[in-house]
Amino acid sequence: MSERKAATARRRLFAATRYHAIGLFVSLLFVAPIAWSALVSFKPSAEAARPPLPPWPVEGFSIQSYENLAKYGVGIWTYAGNSLTVAAATVVVTVIISLLAGYGFSRFKFPLKNVMFVLIISTVMIPFQSILTPLFLILTKLGLQNTLPGIVLIYVTLHLPFSIFMMRNAFDAVPKDIEDAARVDGASVFLMLRRVMLPLVLPGVATVAIFAFLASWNEFLAALILLTDQKKYTLPVMMAAVRSGQFGTIDWGAVQSGVMLMMAPCLALFLLLQRYYIRGLTAGAVK
Amino acid sequence: MASVQIADVRKAYGSTQVIHGVDIDIDDGEFVILVGPSGCGKSTLLRMIAGLENISGGEIRIGPKVVNDVPPKERDIAMVFQNYALYPHMTVADNMAFSMKLRKAPKAEIEERVTRAAQILGLANLLERYPRQLSGGQRQRVAMGRAIVRDPQVFLFDEPLSNLDAKLRVQMRTEIKELHQRLKTTTVYVTHDQIEAMTMADKIVVMHDGIVEQMGAPLDLYDNPNNLFVAGFIGSPAMNMLKGKITAAGFEAVNPKGGASLVWPIGKAPAGSEGREAVYGVRPEHVRLDPNGIKAEVVVIEPTGSETQVVVRCGGQELTCVFRERITAQPGESIGISPDTSVTHLFDAASGKRL
Repeated sequence: MSERKAATARRRLFAATRYHAIGLFVSLLFVAPIAWSALVSFKPSAEAARPPLPPWPVEGFSIQSYENLAKYGVGIWTYAGNSLTVAAATVVVTVIISLLAGYGFSRFKFPLKNVMFVLIISTVMIPFQSILTPLFLILTKLGLQNTLPGIVLIYVTLHLPFSIFMMRNAFDAVPKDIEDAARVDGASVFLMLRRVMLPLVLPGVATVAIFAFLASWNEFLAALILLTDQKKYTLPVMMAAVRSGQFGTIDWGAVQSGVMLMMAPCLALFLLLQRYYIRGLTAGAVK
Repeated sequence: MASVQIADVRKAYGSTQVIHGVDIDIDDGEFVILVGPSGCGKSTLLRMIAGLENISGGEIRIGPKVVNDVPPKERDIAMVFQNYALYPHMTVADNMAFSMKLRKAPKAEIEERVTRAAQILGLANLLERYPRQLSGGQRQRVAMGRAIVRDPQVFLFDEPLSNLDAKLRVQMRTEIKELHQRLKTTTVYVTHDQIEAMTMADKIVVMHDGIVEQMGAPLDLYDNPNNLFVAGFIGSPAMNMLKGKITAAGFEAVNPKGGASLVWPIGKAPAGSEGREAVYGVRPEHVRLDPNGIKAEVVVIEPTGSETQVVVRCGGQELTCVFRERITAQPGESIGISPDTSVTHLFDAASGKRL
């Protein structure tokens, strides 16, 4: 009897060990590149340029790479500021438009509603690179070429189809009676949207915001083509410039510190909002 | 508190008319129940009173004011929904206080009213909970609390008990009735459950296919149904209905099996109705055991303790009877029954109207 108990315990211990070992191995695979970049970014410039083994700094911990990066071009803070402005503006505008559009598509009846919805969604199928030239020409005509508002408009346009789809689903999941209850309770349409509906679709809003932020923060091609003035570069464009180096020498330490800098907000945002984000993606799946 | 007048109200979605001219007068403080099978337009009518649906024709007055084009928030009504429609992101207290906060009522007043409503409904120690942490019955009470706090002119209930289990439904039924007796607020209540209607209402409005079939006090509807629909809808188990012809001897029921037809006694046939095609109605509880009565074969016996429900076959038709006595007969055996002729009903076969 006790022998069998011991056997069960051994089997359990083995299963638990195996489970955790595999988990550890997989997470190691995911963490490794990030850790490697982080370690290289803290090597002195000269060491960072040599073959990267061992991956950790051997000649002492240094923030020289970060200092080099900070001095690049007109200064890292300008670029980071540009990126942050563009990403934040994209998030705000995308969220506001998709919130209202999603509500409209979910609740109102109007002619050609489904045709319009499909039309909006179908724009996702057009490769963005293929319309870059007309976009460039349109922005030039509007006097928005080489401006941050111009690039924000492009990003918002690109994210709207997915965001509207997301928000429509989020609103569809809210029972109509809740809205009716708010109307009977004395709320006007906008008050009802703000105080009752908004908190209920918050997971959807978080998803839309994360997507818009990540995509516009990391976007490279449109920024490279539409922003010609070095002062207006966003971080990805600046990173490409750092990466291409000066006179054939590449400061690998600066590149890795740039990677760390770009990654930090994405990680922070995701960790902060992941609870809502996962709820948003699975909303309506089980009901 | 206010009276509600519904005059020739119509509703159409495109070319489909769903409510065909309904007139209902609801007195101040009255508890009126709209009852009918699903799709009869009762919920639509309620939503029109609330202002959640447009009125295609006719007029609705709350108090002296015509409210056809008044938005819901200015109608001073409170509504309890079938699925409760509580705000999931607000606590019980916030749910109840929401309407008053929107009206910018003073904080002290809000608190006082919420506390009082919570006491009435037994929610006092749940005020800080969220709806998802409550049971069905508690949610139902919060929905009612939200209505009480408003102290509105009219309460509207849209099938509020249909999501509760049977036992809780009976309990809440009593609570709602008690609440009405206490607050005396004009109430319009929609249900498809005729027992709810019978037990709670001052006045029942039976609706069917977008028209009012009959309107009146519960027992009045039970005793004197105007037509076959009301007769079949009100009362449980439903009234037995036999097709046939009025003769000098009584009511000659058609035997669908083709055998000899049975003659049922009639209390008093209306003058000149002899020879007319008609429907004979007798409620299960108005059939008595009578050894000298009509011979009937027992098909099913369903004892409930206080009474016995028996399905019998006679003259080729099945009848449901409810006896106060306990039955010793076994299925297949024969018993004698006779209807209480003072409470039998006759309806015209073609129009379904009461004769």
